[in-house]
Amino acid sequence: MKFDLDAVYVERGCEDSALATRVLRAISRDVPVAHVADAREVTRPASGVSDPFGAGKRRLVIARRKTPFLMPCPAGSSEFACCGYVVLTLASNCPMDCSYCFLQEYLADNPAFQVYANYTDCFDELDRLCANAGGRSFRVGTGELADSLAFDSITAVSRDLIDFFASRENLTLELKTKTDEIENLLDLDPRGRVLVSWTLSPDAVYRSSEHLTASPTARIAAARAVLDAGYRVAFHFDPLIAYPNAERDYLLLIDELLDIVPPKQISFISMGGLRMTPRLRGAARSRFPDDPMLCGEDVLAPDGRFRTFTPLRLNLYRALAERFKKAGSEFPAYLCMEPASVHEHVFGAVPARPATIGERLARA
Amino acid sequence: MNADEIDAQIRELAAERRLPQKHLDRWLAMDLPSRASMLDLARASRLRTGQLVTALDTLDEISVREHVTVAAILDRPEIRRIANSPGSLPSRASVLLEALRTLRYPLLKKMQTQLRSEVSALKLPRGISIDLPKDLGSDELTVSLRVRSGSELAHLIEALDQKRPGLTRIIEMLGGKK
Repeated sequence: MKFDLDAVYVERGCEDSALATRVLRAISRDVPVAHVADAREVTRPASGVSDPFGAGKRRLVIARRKTPFLMPCPAGSSEFACCGYVVLTLASNCPMDCSYCFLQEYLADNPAFQVYANYTDCFDELDRLCANAGGRSFRVGTGELADSLAFDSITAVSRDLIDFFASRENLTLELKTKTDEIENLLDLDPRGRVLVSWTLSPDAVYRSSEHLTASPTARIAAARAVLDAGYRVAFHFDPLIAYPNAERDYLLLIDELLDIVPPKQISFISMGGLRMTPRLRGAARSRFPDDPMLCGEDVLAPDGRFRTFTPLRLNLYRALAERFKKAGSEFPAYLCMEPASVHEHVFGAVPARPATIGERLARA
Repeated sequence: MNADEIDAQIRELAAERRLPQKHLDRWLAMDLPSRASMLDLARASRLRTGQLVTALDTLDEISVREHVTVAAILDRPEIRRIANSPGSLPSRASVLLEALRTLRYPLLKKMQTQLRSEVSALKLPRGISIDLPKDLGSDELTVSLRVRSGSELAHLIEALDQKRPGLTRIIEMLGGKK
């Protein structure tokens, strides 16, 4: 996949990094390259443009990360039954432009697409995490504040990551993506320590809301290809959007998936209903005023987010969960940002505590 | 009236009502029949600022959901009936907004009606009240008992126990069971 860039900025001190060298070699000669003393000069929203967030996505900044690379998932909360996901931030923002994306709020003040030249420093943090974990396993993902693979053809970060994780017993790397950018993965041996996951949505959502992403069919084909190359695969039905005919379309999507990827080869699935804070909803509606997927039957839930009203949302979860069950799947499934009671309604049982879910998913 | 005259009157009304600029811009960005219909409605129902904002937001979202113009929505019989009804202006405005909300949230309204009817069918004694979650925004059902004595409490708990299957069904409906 190719994404347009308006400019590339390299922070002082990063010019000779391996990442900067790879990126500058790979980008088109038409893209202007500038050097800045401090990345913060160019990561803030541009003034005088109608869509500063959209403009930020096309401004690639190669900078040094000054804060830790590892953090607990920002979606985690004691209100929810969480999955124990550990976030590894190697980039910030995404060249794709999904209308519902939470980054429109999360990165509103810092929208430039940043990649961190010192990313290999994260390996020390990961080793410290393992050393202090008393034998626990962790699922670590790079797909929270960025798509894990969107720019991999020019950064090739995945190759170093896979090489590192392949030799770590207690760590599983999750590369989460909406692309089919898998070329860098196919000739490596992940030794069972890397899973690649795709967010899947029906065609109607893809066409209406998931701008510049790979089609659902292309994502499923890419999943099959990495599976054949020795990776584990997982799928996120998140956000699940309850538009008219959603149930029919999601079930057809699952059928399409299971035709290509047999249930026994899926490590896990997750589901999560569309949820938006009022600020995110305002930003999304203003950037994508004609997207009907942003005008579902969403109401203000007790957690302060707009969500599809509960019975409709849970009914959709159940329909998907039942279809997977009917297909004979025995892989773990979890719900993202939902309380334990919702898990019980959907799966018939209250989930285990987060660390346990995380561990189970890491080993699945 | 031509388009310029309609827009001038919209601006005048927006100034009178101190309509936020964002909403005025959205109104002026509608197609001409929609701008005119909205103007007629705002005048005929004498919508106050908050009501006008709600109406514009709701109509905009219905229009995006259903791929129809605002004029087409306002031309629907159930909306025209309210706009032309003889009731007092404040009550007409509030009925109108409720009707728009029903168009905006059709499944929610249907589900709320079904659940309320399930609650009524329980025929619970006085002293027990059942509250559905606001806008069905959660799966939490609130059951309240109001008692003044131990015997009243025993009576209500026994009544509740007898209604357990019906209450369980309501909880399951909130949990997405059809």
